[in-house]
Amino acid sequence: MTQRPQQHSFNPYTENGGTILAIAGADFSVIAGDTRQSEGYSIQTRYAPKVFRLTDKAVLAVNGFAADGNMFVKKVRQRLEWYRHAHSKDMPIRAIARLIQTMLYARRFFPYYVYNILGGIEEDGTGAVYSFDPVGSYEREACRAAGAAQSLMQPFLDNQIYFKNQTPAPGTSFPQHLPLNTVLSLVIDSFTGATERHIEVGDSLEMYVVLARESPSIQALQNIVGIQERTSTADGERIFVIRRDLKKD
Amino acid sequence: MSSSSIYSPPGFDFSNQLRNNFMLQKGLPLPKATSTGTTIVGCLFKDGIVLGADTRATEGPIVADKNCEKIHYITESIRCCGAGTAADTEFTTALISSNMEMHALQTGRKPRVVTAMTMLKQMLFRYQGQVGAALVLGGVDATGAHLFTIHPHGSTDKLPYVTMGSGSLAAMAVFESGWKPNMEREDALNLVKLAIAAGIFNDLGSGSNIDACIITANNTEMLRNVEMPNVRVQKERDYKFRRGTTAWKKEDVRKLIVEEQTLLIGGDEMDTS
Amino acid sequence: MDRLKSGEVNLGTSIMAVQFEGGVVIGADSRTTTGSYIANRVTDKLTHVHDRIYCCRSGSAADTQAVADIVHYYLQMFTQTSGAPPSVHTAAALFQKLCYENKDALSAGIIVAGWDKDAGPSVYNIPVGGGMFRQPWAIGGSGSTYVYGYCDATYKEGWGREETVEFVRNTLALAMSRDGSSGGVIRMCVITEDKVERLFVPGDQLPKFWEGREIVGGAVKKLDVDPIPMAVEV
Repeated sequence: MTQRPQQHSFNPYTENGGTILAIAGADFSVIAGDTRQSEGYSIQTRYAPKVFRLTDKAVLAVNGFAADGNMFVKKVRQRLEWYRHAHSKDMPIRAIARLIQTMLYARRFFPYYVYNILGGIEEDGTGAVYSFDPVGSYEREACRAAGAAQSLMQPFLDNQIYFKNQTPAPGTSFPQHLPLNTVLSLVIDSFTGATERHIEVGDSLEMYVVLARESPSIQALQNIVGIQERTSTADGERIFVIRRDLKKD
Repeated sequence: MSSSSIYSPPGFDFSNQLRNNFMLQKGLPLPKATSTGTTIVGCLFKDGIVLGADTRATEGPIVADKNCEKIHYITESIRCCGAGTAADTEFTTALISSNMEMHALQTGRKPRVVTAMTMLKQMLFRYQGQVGAALVLGGVDATGAHLFTIHPHGSTDKLPYVTMGSGSLAAMAVFESGWKPNMEREDALNLVKLAIAAGIFNDLGSGSNIDACIITANNTEMLRNVEMPNVRVQKERDYKFRRGTTAWKKEDVRKLIVEEQTLLIGGDEMDTS
Repeated sequence: MDRLKSGEVNLGTSIMAVQFEGGVVIGADSRTTTGSYIANRVTDKLTHVHDRIYCCRSGSAADTQAVADIVHYYLQMFTQTSGAPPSVHTAAALFQKLCYENKDALSAGIIVAGWDKDAGPSVYNIPVGGGMFRQPWAIGGSGSTYVYGYCDATYKEGWGREETVEFVRNTLALAMSRDGSSGGVIRMCVITEDKVERLFVPGDQLPKFWEGREIVGGAVKKLDVDPIPMAVEV
């Protein structure tokens, strides 16, 4: 038997499962993620948040390698705080998006093993979703799913949000933006569906809703049980968080 | 050139092996087999055996079947739980079930659990682990109640409580803390349910419902979905599509009834009288 | 080279057989592993192949079970056709034939021991590769490497039954304490002309040897005598 030299190298990355999702409306944005964190066939924890409030108008969802994700959020928050001290205001969301791009690309050859989705309200009061790849390529979209169950959710979203492969009834057309209650329902159904068919998705669902200044969409949040407000300053954009149980198998 | 036989030989067909190995080298991976990343258990009690299984089948991280049956029939009083490659567990148990029936007919006796165990281990050993079946075999025969595990390479163990599959560690933890000799039927069933539940909730490869099977000297009770702790919640919206939602490029309606016209050209009609 | 195929069940074992005046004593630990998981903690590695002939199995569980099953079958046929029980040498030669001719496909280290009318008690060692050696005592499995010195230093010819049983028990306990893939309980068999007697030592009643001194509350208990400083060569 011939002996060959074998290379052993340390792999600093792991994949921790889970899925994130964001949808932009006319004057709101919904950013959601499940809270299961796993490695292989084992659950590390049933509650590890993947969605984080950055400012009153920006929420960041991170998915992939959990340790990198947490560190990345920490560093983005640090940069946002420095910005606040320098300029006495929160950084606008399009600026946060560009900041995240440069932060990711700075590590082009030792990347953060993370897919980012940034959601919130633009300076003109419209709902926004920015999605990134691990090395900083990004674009603004109306909706995006990322992570373990991306391939299950994105086709569903394309069909239900962009109305792909659907022809409108004669003499009618599909709406450009969906109302908040519809969007919330679609998010919940996306996650319960992914939980059914993907083993790494489950335990519970965390949905952040960002509303534009004086948005009438607040009506849709009136009767939701267990909703919590996360806004820090009055007279601005408002942030809410909604939690739902998912299956635990 | 000799003509090829029209009869196919018995056993596995290896005729595509050369081509598949070539494709593998070219970077085209083999299709992934459905695996039952499973929790299966067996437990001895006062009057017999309780077998248990979850009902999830997976293809990588995707759930292929939410409610599959993993407790297979061998004979009336012998059953076998399968983990590993789904196709391998189904075919090996079906083959041995058939051979056991033939054996019973030939000997005129109720076949024994060791007979099934020996048939299974000899087949799995012959295939040197290529047939990826990990089994829990249990049953009651003239010599009493017996419980075995059979690993894919053909090794066997005889124990009073056993677990197999990706959830076997979670399930064994339950058995190691809760099993007692000479348990009552109900206590044994509850322990098995607990062991499978541990697999369902702590192992991502296992999920959905609990199946159980209680085998005693003169009765076998198959408890399909004894517990259903993972029922899907009601959807927030219903996704009915309006008739005419799907676009089409061309419409072509065909008549399925063929109309035929018969025309007589000269000659007399046949005399049918 | 990897002797075991991936995912295979391993008898990462400590096994032993010793002959004495009237018979043989064989013994084994009870651990079966798949990787770091103990698949069976009460395994019986002392396998019956004939009335007065047993074998101790080490290596792959599947391979050694298959080989032992075949030998068991051959010895039954032998008894029926020849009308007399086989000798231990015959059984060992069968094991050797299977292990040698299929050495490329097997990972099996087997000790065959028993009693017959021709030779009385005898022990044959058939290590991986398929050699066959008659020995007064034999040890095998991953745990055996730790206790060759102990066996060489301790074994004496002319022991009786009790001394031999104690030797096997102590050797296996020492091997099990050092080898991570051996453990559980000790199973032993005493094979004599009259009978085969099974002995069992539970895991919490294994003979104990020096295991280090107890450290209470982080402080080392003071010895009665002062430790002698190590002599250093200059």
